[in-house]
Amino acid sequence: MTTTTATPAKPGIPEIVTNSAAPRPSGWLSWLTSTDHKRIGIMYIVASWVFLVLGGVEALLIRLQLAVPDNTLLSPQTYNSLFTMHGTTMIFLFLMPMIAGFANYLVPLMIGARDMAFPKLNALSLWLFIAGGIVFYGSLLFSPPECGWTCYAPLSGTAFSPSNGVDAWIFLMHLTGVASFIGALNIFVTITNMRAPGMSWGRMPLFIWAMLTQAILLIISVPVIAGAVTLLLTDRHFGTHFYDPTNGGSALLWQHLFWFFGHPEVYILVLPGFGVISEILPVFSRKPIFGYKAIVAATLGIAVIGTLVWAHHMFTTPLPFFLLIFFMLGTYLIAIPTGVKIFNWIFTMWRGSIEFPVAMLYSLGFLATFLLGGITGIFLATFPVDWQLQDTYFIVAHLHYTIVGGAVFAMMAALYYWFPKMTGRMMDEKLGKVSFALTLGGFWITFLIQHSAGLSGMPRRVYEYADVNNLGTYNMISTIGSFILALGVLLTIVNIVQSLKKGAKAGPDPWRGNTLEWFTPSPPPVNNFDVVPRVRSVEPMQDIRRQIERQDRVGEEAGVAAGD
Amino acid sequence: MTSRPAKNSLLFALVLVAASLLPASSAFADLIAPQSGGGTPNAEAIRSLYLWIFGLGCVVFFGVGGLLIWTVMKYRSSKGAVAVRVHGNNRLEIGWTVGAAMLLVLISVVTFLKLDQIKNPPNSSANGLATPKNVAFASGPTKPSLPPNGRSLDIDVNGQQYVWRYTYADTDTNNLNNVFSYEQMVVPTDTTVTLNIRAQDVQHSWWIPELGGKFDAVPGYTNYTWFKISEPGVYEGQCAELCGRGHASMIASVKAVSPDEFKLWYADQKTAILAAEKSAAAARNKLVAKDEAALKTVPKSEAPAAAAPVAAADGKKIFVAGVPATGALACGSCHVLADAGTKGAVGPNLNTVLKGQSAAMIKASTLYPNKIISKGYAANIMPANYGTSLTKAELDALIKYIDEAVNGK
Repeated sequence: MTTTTATPAKPGIPEIVTNSAAPRPSGWLSWLTSTDHKRIGIMYIVASWVFLVLGGVEALLIRLQLAVPDNTLLSPQTYNSLFTMHGTTMIFLFLMPMIAGFANYLVPLMIGARDMAFPKLNALSLWLFIAGGIVFYGSLLFSPPECGWTCYAPLSGTAFSPSNGVDAWIFLMHLTGVASFIGALNIFVTITNMRAPGMSWGRMPLFIWAMLTQAILLIISVPVIAGAVTLLLTDRHFGTHFYDPTNGGSALLWQHLFWFFGHPEVYILVLPGFGVISEILPVFSRKPIFGYKAIVAATLGIAVIGTLVWAHHMFTTPLPFFLLIFFMLGTYLIAIPTGVKIFNWIFTMWRGSIEFPVAMLYSLGFLATFLLGGITGIFLATFPVDWQLQDTYFIVAHLHYTIVGGAVFAMMAALYYWFPKMTGRMMDEKLGKVSFALTLGGFWITFLIQHSAGLSGMPRRVYEYADVNNLGTYNMISTIGSFILALGVLLTIVNIVQSLKKGAKAGPDPWRGNTLEWFTPSPPPVNNFDVVPRVRSVEPMQDIRRQIERQDRVGEEAGVAAGD
Repeated sequence: MTSRPAKNSLLFALVLVAASLLPASSAFADLIAPQSGGGTPNAEAIRSLYLWIFGLGCVVFFGVGGLLIWTVMKYRSSKGAVAVRVHGNNRLEIGWTVGAAMLLVLISVVTFLKLDQIKNPPNSSANGLATPKNVAFASGPTKPSLPPNGRSLDIDVNGQQYVWRYTYADTDTNNLNNVFSYEQMVVPTDTTVTLNIRAQDVQHSWWIPELGGKFDAVPGYTNYTWFKISEPGVYEGQCAELCGRGHASMIASVKAVSPDEFKLWYADQKTAILAAEKSAAAARNKLVAKDEAALKTVPKSEAPAAAAPVAAADGKKIFVAGVPATGALACGSCHVLADAGTKGAVGPNLNTVLKGQSAAMIKASTLYPNKIISKGYAANIMPANYGTSLTKAELDALIKYIDEAVNGK
């Protein structure tokens, strides 16, 4: 039996019963004041896409400047500001909020809850993030920061970065950091306390496992960066010397604190993507996830090891030798759970019956791209090899393969997969496929060749380069690719706008999904579920569908028998 | 879902990817592996370690990628594939966990085998430069790794916005007398060269791709590396860590010459530096003497002010605000001085360039700005009117203030 409280007309068949419902508030004020997790989720996603456009334009300007050797299009000052804004925007103002948006939208629906545990705190996170974005982009009006998204001391100190751009960056870190921290607490409490009856730990969707792990990582690492940037702020304006080597401070302290946050941050970005892939692959392979427990264990394993390997970003700094060995071997270990996941995903499709909607294509694009990003990670984990590759375009390529491959492609898959749930309308599959091909192809053209640029001696963060070792050719290819990639993303934006009005009506469960969000109408009512079904497996919707089929059959047979 | 558009878009994506691989011809030497050159063993070992991992990485990439494509092609629903309800397989899980672990053990073993050649400098060859034993800059808590016989050419590499300075170690204990050069480092072939890498201001990173890995120059720390070149030539590189607006132009090169040529260069450089220092000292003395002679002719009426020196606070005021009435511009509008809190970026940072200079030198620099110019700055930028626009008392107060602010009381 799937329902317990409703009194359906046909005994045993789930039916949505509402006694009375307040009219849905409307108008922009109702959005601004909303504490509904679905509206907050959508506002997160919309805001993140605004920042995606800003960060994307910054990236295209960077690629234009680098298209030809010795280019004079941009001044070094503008160029340094651009890559600082690009990196910071894409991580803290696009990916983190887009993930937070999907988490907000999906976590309560997937676990059968009616909202987050703390709806008002949830709204606070959203508005803190938007405030952070405004403060950061406000620096465009005076002087944007030029220290890179890593803002290494002492370059970020007042002696070398006297303008207030760095302060805008610090306040962005504070505001979005607090937003993420509150959001993570909210997700953690929601998942641990508000699951549907019967949803034990072993029946939680893998996306929920990923979000739970991500929340724990955020709770561990965000306070460290918040403290680190606070010390930077007091160094800059209140006469302290934490990072000032001329007064007994340590420049390496900043790097340790930054990367103690910065490396878990990588998993904060990719684990939700892993969760999305673990949801989408079984649905479109029409087959249960392969090795559920192994994937959960791998998720937790990646999180634990991932917090202990931060100094592999610092292999070229003066570190004691035994630490180089420790951080190399620790980083190697991460490859094992990551490999386990990739094999489990492939074997989820193996002997399945695979369909290829855009969401599935992005998932496959994710697998191929992230695979290469993971492999180049092994190159970089080997510290003598890292001595050659660190701070070159090889690193730039690697980080884009992992973060775009691991997080952005997965989030694009999530967008195409859950858009019908959020809006009640399907996205255009044909346009989506063109967009996918351009995005994936453009991405590989842009970034594959950057490995070679790095191997040919091109450091990152240089506004110009001499035409030696074919760097001109490599960079031109990369620039062409970046515009193809941008066109692909643009088509998805067009697709979203079009589909909001013209998309085919989706119905509650267009994909024949596995998880509870497909049990409600699309878009879901404010209270999500009138009746929360009892969960009996990892795929509650499969159970519900089977139950209905069985009852229909019983009903038909009964009808036939009665007619006889 | 029809698979036709899906297949087409996948194919399209594959074609685009293939297009990006087109330039893969033999002309592109550094397409797949880092550079090594000049016969230095560390860079060669890093390259060969890289190629090992590259080979294994290719096996994994094409193996797993192939399995992925095969699975996706074979089990298409459009081909009538029927899903099988399988939830997992413990043997497979153990299999790929152990498989991945074995691969990593293999990479670790290869890394440890190559490590000695990468990390530890060998002795210089017999035909290399004969260097004295244990002559090295002693700095930092971690010791540099020297060749087994303790003989190497030790060079201090100092990163500064935006130039590299190289100081050659010698038996003289006063480091101020050492031979130095900027931007291009000249070294003898067949000789082990050990480097102490430091930074003056912000973080930099020393990197000559052909001569091995990069090592960050972190202010307050010393980093170490080495190379041993067997083929004469010039090896180019540049700063690899963002160090400010001039990062892209902070280039470096290492010129390897035969030990005999090196000795000639070293002697020339030493003579040139001594001569330059001597002439600079003479110029300074002359300027100071001229200044003092000029002061003796100051009218009697101004003498009392000179007898009662103005307090340092007034010097600070002149530094920050200048004396607008007589046309003396404020120093602080162009110079950084931590004590005064000024952040001007037109001229050099006084905390850096005047550190350790005598009051007389500071005075000469103030009065005759075009005679003594800091590296990286041009002449005729700073006004040369401080001798006339300031009174003797104001000037003394200003110089006293700057001296105390930079070098302490």
